[in-house]
Amino acid sequence: MTGSIPTKEWMDVPAVFKEGNFCYPAKKSMVEYHKFPNPREWSPDQDDWKLPDGWEDIILKGLKERLDKFRSLKLFMDTCVRCGACADKCHFFLGTGDPKNMPVLRAELLRSVYRNDFTAAGKLLGRLAGGRPMTVGVLKEWFMYAYQCTECRRCSVFCPYGIDQAEITMMMRELLHLVGVGTNWILEPAANSNRTGNHMGLQPHTLKDNVSYLCDDIETITGIRVEPTFNRKGAEILFITPSADVFAEPGIYTAMGYLLLFHHIGLDYTFSTYASEGGNFGLFTSNEMMKKLNAKMYAEAKRLGVKWILGGECGHMWRVLHQYMDTMNGPADFLEVPKSPITNTVFENAASTKMVHISEFTADLIRNNKLKIDPKRNAHRIPTWHDSCNTSRAMGLLDEPRYVLDHVVPKWYEMPENTIREKTFCCGSGTGLNTGEIMELRMRSGLPRANAVKHVEDKFGVNTLACVCAIDRATLTALMDYWNPNVKVCGLSELVGNSLIMDGEKERETGLRFEPLEGMEG
Amino acid sequence: MEVMNTARNKILVDEKGFLARAEEWNEDVAHILAEREGIKELTEEKMEIVRFMRNYYAKFHAFPILNYVCKNIHQPRECVSGAFDNPMTAWKIAGLPDPSTISFVKIDGEHYHMEECC
Repeated sequence: MTGSIPTKEWMDVPAVFKEGNFCYPAKKSMVEYHKFPNPREWSPDQDDWKLPDGWEDIILKGLKERLDKFRSLKLFMDTCVRCGACADKCHFFLGTGDPKNMPVLRAELLRSVYRNDFTAAGKLLGRLAGGRPMTVGVLKEWFMYAYQCTECRRCSVFCPYGIDQAEITMMMRELLHLVGVGTNWILEPAANSNRTGNHMGLQPHTLKDNVSYLCDDIETITGIRVEPTFNRKGAEILFITPSADVFAEPGIYTAMGYLLLFHHIGLDYTFSTYASEGGNFGLFTSNEMMKKLNAKMYAEAKRLGVKWILGGECGHMWRVLHQYMDTMNGPADFLEVPKSPITNTVFENAASTKMVHISEFTADLIRNNKLKIDPKRNAHRIPTWHDSCNTSRAMGLLDEPRYVLDHVVPKWYEMPENTIREKTFCCGSGTGLNTGEIMELRMRSGLPRANAVKHVEDKFGVNTLACVCAIDRATLTALMDYWNPNVKVCGLSELVGNSLIMDGEKERETGLRFEPLEGMEG
Repeated sequence: MEVMNTARNKILVDEKGFLARAEEWNEDVAHILAEREGIKELTEEKMEIVRFMRNYYAKFHAFPILNYVCKNIHQPRECVSGAFDNPMTAWKIAGLPDPSTISFVKIDGEHYHMEECC
């Protein structure tokens, strides 16, 4: 950010691609796998993107179809009054200082084409009415800025018209896929999920073996053998979580937390090796892809004959589940309204989706005194709470994780008021932007979040950033390593699991990461 | 692609350092790949990690949980990072394919950590 006054109109400033400012394009084989148009080898930093003949018409036809299909899109195209309330609310704008990352202007990239071709004023007056024709330059701009938006929807909180910027970004990405412009870090996990059931591409025996390894570690640490089941028909509850939870640190410690919790309360549940992914990279691709990948959840719940579904710690998974699943792939009338078998609490909030979040489930257990907890086991941690964009803004999960934290750690601290709850700042790397080739961009877009963490680190000695999102756990780790290297990242269920006093356990010497617990027993 | 000479034949390595034709791997090739990755000596402890990764991949078609490797070959926790700094180096020396939905990044200047797609 130079602070200088722009010398050119925004329409006259081209998007320039160079190594480090774009996500790598989808491999030809991935585009072919999904049967998407125009599979080829190409790179954004080359002039020729090898677009198909008549690509402008493909985009305009695609836009027309979507305007007819989604009333929300038509509304969002028409209603913006350019008041600018959103401008400085975007972490990408705050981190990069690029005016086209102001949500109002990012939306304008699409809106200008809409005006030009779909409104009377635009057809007559063109640029005077804020319209511009679809050109290669415009397409390149879409690609740049639709992938410098994490669909976090913080801007929407401040928009007086409630324009959902995420849906505009989603539309731009959908339209780009029509001409074969997409990124590999999104299309490959989506292909994995379609083929093996999960983003990490874990086959059934691999998933099972990984969980078994976590059970071994739990036994080493607590002396308790937990015995989860897989694909078990007749289980009361199907548990679905991001595959990253059983794949890599620090997610595996969150998964150990789930396993301990379910054993602690004797839950009748099963994992599935078919619906083995909570996340859904279809959300970052197209509505059709999202629907297809999501369909496995209800299909598996039906096949196994469970009563309802419990979901683990993932962010965007809950945007899909809470805001789209019921109408996309429901109604799931073969399931029951979720009722905790331990407390008999009925989760009326999940009456339509039949799917409950692990934090609300855990908070209810604590509220009904069903857990034996020793928060001192987490005394080496002084957490702050990161509200994940999607769980907070897309499903209103604000107080339940805080209630859990209140009980499983001796003390924790809130970040400043305008950076939490529905105004939370994104990790900066969601929606498939958590890829290594754009690390500088990620560290910039994550700066507002990191800055708030720095504040509570300096003020209260915070050393842990707790969250309920798999992408957060991976990306905040990099973000903290860069901006606040003394702060470690963990999932909420890790703190829960670590605090549980298990029946018949041995004397605890370490936490779930094998870190020493000195004199904490009590 | 880069061509490298071994004692018996030539092997192909891609621009990121992954062995192009998996069937060409043997322990001599491992030593050459290790040299290319800047690993001075492929000791028996390191070779144990490499062998385990190959066996693991043959059975599970995935990147292993790193401490799972250490536990199985009876080496201390964090053995992979200890021996290779970047765990992906061990994977490359094992001649295994580029797992393109994960990467390892070193942000704090000290430790690599895995970033998975989701």
